[in-house]
Amino acid sequence: MKAKKITALMMASAMVLSLAACGSNQETTETKADQSAEEQTASTEAASAAEGETISTTMTVWAPSEDQAEDKGAWLQTMCDQFNAEHPEWDITFEYGVCAEGDAKSTVTQDVEGAADVYMFANDNLTSLISSNAIAKIGGQTADAVKSSNSAEIVDSVSVDGDIYGVPFTTNTWFLYYDKSVFSEDDVKNLDTMLEKGKVSFPITNSWYIASFYVANGCTLFGEDGTDEAAGIDFSGDKAVDVTNYLVDLVANPNFLSDADGAGLSGLRDGSVNAIFSGSWDAEAVKEALGDNYGVTSLPAITINGEEKQMKSFAGSKAIGVNPNCEYPQIAVALANYLGSAEAQKAHYEMRSVIPCNTELLAEDAISADVLVTAQNDTFNNTSIIQPFVSKMGDYWTPAENFGKSLVNKEVTHDNAAEMTENFNTSMNTSAVE
Amino acid sequence: MAKEKKNSSMRTRRIIADTVTHIVLAVLAFIWVIPIVWIILLSFSTQKGSYVTSFFPKGYTLKNYVKLFTDIQVLNFPQMFKNTFIIACFVCVISTFFVLSAAYCYSRLRFKMRKPLMNVSMILGLFPGFMSMVAVYYILKAVGLSEGSMIRVALILVYSGGAAIQFTIAKGFFDTVPKSLDEAAYLDGATKFQVFTKVTVPLSKPIIVYTVLTSFLSPWLDFIFAKVICRANAEYYTVSVGLWKMLEKEYIDNWYTSFAAGAVCISIPIAILFVIMQKYYTDGLSGAVKG
Repeated sequence: MKAKKITALMMASAMVLSLAACGSNQETTETKADQSAEEQTASTEAASAAEGETISTTMTVWAPSEDQAEDKGAWLQTMCDQFNAEHPEWDITFEYGVCAEGDAKSTVTQDVEGAADVYMFANDNLTSLISSNAIAKIGGQTADAVKSSNSAEIVDSVSVDGDIYGVPFTTNTWFLYYDKSVFSEDDVKNLDTMLEKGKVSFPITNSWYIASFYVANGCTLFGEDGTDEAAGIDFSGDKAVDVTNYLVDLVANPNFLSDADGAGLSGLRDGSVNAIFSGSWDAEAVKEALGDNYGVTSLPAITINGEEKQMKSFAGSKAIGVNPNCEYPQIAVALANYLGSAEAQKAHYEMRSVIPCNTELLAEDAISADVLVTAQNDTFNNTSIIQPFVSKMGDYWTPAENFGKSLVNKEVTHDNAAEMTENFNTSMNTSAVE
Repeated sequence: MAKEKKNSSMRTRRIIADTVTHIVLAVLAFIWVIPIVWIILLSFSTQKGSYVTSFFPKGYTLKNYVKLFTDIQVLNFPQMFKNTFIIACFVCVISTFFVLSAAYCYSRLRFKMRKPLMNVSMILGLFPGFMSMVAVYYILKAVGLSEGSMIRVALILVYSGGAAIQFTIAKGFFDTVPKSLDEAAYLDGATKFQVFTKVTVPLSKPIIVYTVLTSFLSPWLDFIFAKVICRANAEYYTVSVGLWKMLEKEYIDNWYTSFAAGAVCISIPIAILFVIMQKYYTDGLSGAVKG
């Protein structure tokens, strides 16, 4: 009796298993076929759009939560509805998901097939997205549109090996906020002048920021243009040691405050700090803290061994990408193009103060009059380098953060600067996973 | 005389020992309570931004709580709270049943493979659950639980499905319930299930309370599974994902004090449940067996 029951159970489970296996097999072959078909369509791009048939489909779009907030104008919904209205040949039902640009790497790659058809990503996610086959190359008219409406640096930031992977819609970097009552416009051109006149806070323990000093003095990350993975990170020799010595003095300066856990912004509020380095996400808070004395500009220079050197921040862009697994790549690419168009960027700026990057839009009076836009774009064009997104860049972050911490803790001194800088350089060029 | 002296010296020694113990305990209690007091104070603070300069806030306000429950466009905390609460209620019932059943079987029934099964489940229980998160996600996707409102079902399954592995403590408790009680019940014609529900369970209130509390807690505390399973579906986020979001670069300056308020809020349902169940923590065995 018992034996019978067990066999029955086993047979039942075997059946379920085989059924499940069947199902998944079918699915994979189907998607494979789809994929290859899609790759072709993606390369010819929008060829079938003119067929005249109405395509009814559902599109999933992922964007940050603020883009969908009603009280901020519901930018995403508005734009998608307009897109639908402009294309009578397509009848699209939109589904929205929440995924911040910087999270695209983890959220999209977790399940590429189940991810959105169109999503937003920060350009430093690009390497991971490409390696998990989660992002489609953009060709044809859309690529031409991207090239013609953006500066070369921005196009480079979303390109790998000459192929464009997304439609950029904003830049992402950090710059200088200062109190106009303390610093004049000339003062903010040099950090050392600023330190004489007022209190400056800099997030030196944050690896996104600290490299700016080293890059100022000729140190490079992955070659001149940040794409030469074999070149590695070059923070070696006197050029780096000089910077370390400069930073040792900087940290010891009583007018300097290391910005961590929001100390800088809090200092701006109570007046104990007169300048901070941050990005556009803090603009509202800074404006509120400084009121009429609100000043914002691109990065200052630093004086190393009597020479003025320009600080250079890491810069990136945020762009709209297309999932290669989507059903109608022509629609997805057109939607991505639309969401990154001048019109959409303008709406984005008006509703949410997302700084546009479209060159025509930047020339418009209403936008170029905004000091924040000018500061961010000046920084992007003049005082920044494109943040390298080669995969070895992953080895940079932790050593840089630790080095910043040991500077603040005064473990790095003038006596051991050379040795510490060399160790720092070695650890950045050593893979942590090996 | 000598005896008296000895007594008094023993007493002084005891007083000294007690004082030292109490001082140590008081210091430990103080250290332990500080973070909780701090987060409560912060949740009422008028300060802006995330940098805290003083232990006691400079002003007190309720606006952090108001913001938490009214500013729902970007981070919908009430929705997250509701999601977590629903999930927690289901998980609490299901996993308590699983844990107690498994523990009862291992403790009272004798069957082939009992020992090996116990060992296997012990060892499985030693691995952190999130090791399997990607596999779990794909399984849920394959059975269609990864989209829409099925996400809640998926989370309930994930939090309660593996609960039985945590049987050890409950089994240990059941082992202390005298077997003679079961035998008496069997003699009166009770079935195994009746013995479980009518004899063992009423005698095991402390361990049931413990199981209920821990299983109610898990959805509030878990972050990884909620993040992996909800992905971009913000309307199904649980509170831990929401609280984590509040500390991201874009939100931290605006949401820091509301984050503290959120942390205080999630302790409320847990505290209420504890207060209700606390009275059952008293000795469940008293008066069961007449000496």
